[in-house]
Amino acid sequence: MDLNYSSEDRAFRDTCRAWMEANVPRHDLKTLDERKQWHRKLYEAGYVGMLWPKAYGGWGATAMQQAIVQDEMARIGAPPTINGLGIGFIGPTIIVHGTDWQKERYLKKMLTAEEIWCQLYSEPNAGSDLAGLKTRAEDAGDHFVVNGQKIWTSSGPIADWGILLCRTDSKVAKHKGISCVLLNMRQPGVEVRPLKQITGHSLFSEVFMTNARAEKRDLIGDLGQGWAIAQTTLGYERGGNSLGRVTRYAISFQQLVKAAKELRRNGRPLIQDSAVRAKLGKLYAELEVQRYAGLRVLSALSKGEGVSSASSITKLSYTEFEKRFYETALEILGPHGHGMSATADYEEIDTSSGEPGTWATAFLWSRAGTIYSGSSEIQKNIIGERVLGLPKEVRADRVKA
Amino acid sequence: MDFAFSSDQQLLKNAARSFLDEHAKPATVRLLWDDARGESESLWKDMAQLGWLGLSLDEAYGGAGLAMVESAIVLDEIGRAALPTPYWPTVLAATAIADAGTDAQKKRWLPAVATGDARATIAFLDGDLDWSPDATATRAEKSSEGWRLSGAKRWVPWAHVANVLLVPARTAEGITLFLVDPAAAGLALAPVQGMDFGTRWVHVTLDNVRAAETLGAPGSAAPLLQLLMRRGAVGAAAEMLGAARRCLDMAVGYAKVREQFGQPIGSFQAIRHKCSEMLLEVENSHAAVYYAAWALDARADDADVAASVAKAYVGDAARKVCGEAIQVHGGIGFTWEYDLHLYFKRAKALETMYGDGDYHRELITRMVSGV
Repeated sequence: MDLNYSSEDRAFRDTCRAWMEANVPRHDLKTLDERKQWHRKLYEAGYVGMLWPKAYGGWGATAMQQAIVQDEMARIGAPPTINGLGIGFIGPTIIVHGTDWQKERYLKKMLTAEEIWCQLYSEPNAGSDLAGLKTRAEDAGDHFVVNGQKIWTSSGPIADWGILLCRTDSKVAKHKGISCVLLNMRQPGVEVRPLKQITGHSLFSEVFMTNARAEKRDLIGDLGQGWAIAQTTLGYERGGNSLGRVTRYAISFQQLVKAAKELRRNGRPLIQDSAVRAKLGKLYAELEVQRYAGLRVLSALSKGEGVSSASSITKLSYTEFEKRFYETALEILGPHGHGMSATADYEEIDTSSGEPGTWATAFLWSRAGTIYSGSSEIQKNIIGERVLGLPKEVRADRVKA
Repeated sequence: MDFAFSSDQQLLKNAARSFLDEHAKPATVRLLWDDARGESESLWKDMAQLGWLGLSLDEAYGGAGLAMVESAIVLDEIGRAALPTPYWPTVLAATAIADAGTDAQKKRWLPAVATGDARATIAFLDGDLDWSPDATATRAEKSSEGWRLSGAKRWVPWAHVANVLLVPARTAEGITLFLVDPAAAGLALAPVQGMDFGTRWVHVTLDNVRAAETLGAPGSAAPLLQLLMRRGAVGAAAEMLGAARRCLDMAVGYAKVREQFGQPIGSFQAIRHKCSEMLLEVENSHAAVYYAAWALDARADDADVAASVAKAYVGDAARKVCGEAIQVHGGIGFTWEYDLHLYFKRAKALETMYGDGDYHRELITRMVSGV
């Protein structure tokens, strides 16, 4: 057991920090073009696609190095990259399951954000029960004709391509009739409608497909393999953001301490109120435990130990913590936690969502984490079954093998 | 960056697990619960033989020259067994003698601890429920024939079996640590029966008790006591972690075989989700305990914060996990006959020791806010 960073990792962090200090844009990135340029610059520096093999345009770096980059970006408040789903999930899926033609055609442009990708999985009636999805793809010779509706699609309005889960066989068990295909979003049969979420912004969309066309050459894997492919996709969590995430919490925490020193009650700063002090101490303890646990995951990854089920524990842990964190922060801040734009320095925080950063937005955003990418309840099912080995539940739709 | 145990550390863990599985079964624990002294001389000698008592001591004094991570590994397993033992009070007191003692003091006590011939404990608390050295109320005065101590120390673990007591007292020079003979005239021991029969507490009254020696220079004890509190806290957290993991294992095992409504109860989400939440708390506690232990050993910048984080976090987590294990078991978990309460009570007793959660959360706020 040795929790010191290796000298290579320390040197890598120094280089990365110097690069960020020299290159992070000094102004907010407003247009898509500006965001693409920043993304491209990061890619060329070796800070995007870090875990991808070099053969596909990646950098073949370690999970620790990727975590350090995310950490340094959080520390300096760098604008996020834009093709996160593509680079984190869709690209790796194509690398594992795709054809040579698909790899050649899609991967490089994904890395450089020349083409933006979205994920077409959830449907209005298929959330946690994703395998119940109804979007149909019918065989029309050299292509499929796609009809249906998707929801909770990130980057929908700016996406050029989507990875689609659709039903290609309705006569077999629901998990077995699903296929995975790449869909061109820039066609008349695809309509994207932004979805206004509780933060008042629109980072998600609904996507309507009406006789949309998906090419046969864009089928990932074989017909009927979509569910299995989606499982590996959802499990492709590599701990890459484990340090950066905690650094964002830590920066927010320091803003909270600052607020507690400036705001006053009973003629003295809040920081001298024992109830506030107890809350701060508890938050910081939980925050640090998130960091220690993140280091533990990175250590396991660096030894090539698989953590696919353990990533459910990580996801459950930080998303539930994030809710408690912002709930407690708003208890302390009172109305100062409600501003949708900052009126004091300590009201401004990095929400990492790309939205204007105030406590209110972060508080509202924290409700998303325990729902997306498998809700907390789904994570607990996975942990119970796959880690603890508890018996499967009796379910009405469970098909006998 | 390597969070996994080294192969030597893993060997130590495996050896501790198999020794305690064989020699500290619940039936043994229950015998010790009913024993007046409360611990086993033969197990103590075994622990000396295994090298556990001298684990953190210098090789010159018969120790193994290891440190907090190794102590945490042993304590994790002791907690898993809920073994009643003055192990941690003794080993912690020995680190104080190793850190601040004279050569003569070290020669007198450290080999004796390592061989199992001496037990020791530290009397942190006075009448106030305040773990800060500043709250020390016991007084010591220097006279021509040495120091004289008067005061009342509360909740001293295992003082009735100790060969030496480490007693902080207030002197003209400031807070000073004394080595006190428990058999000295004017010293009275009053055992207290707590809910955990495996944690023996003693109230110690000192009425003009003679102490020949201070540990370290008079007035210099406050920083040492704070360091001992941090070590004590991390050790207690390790022991709570072991108790919590035992409770989790028992709950999961039971949920797989106990049937209601014609199904194993572990197939119900109400139970499965509870067990998953318990696992989350245990894994986070593991990270907290071993991070803090490593940070103390490495003298990391955040070692002080990490010790308080471990105690505050794991205290809450262990209470939750052990309590939920009773809930998963239902009625059987509430019986004296079933073993769950051994671990539940051990974790609960440790939660109060070396600073409770509120105390450590206050320390954390002070350290991170600078106020």
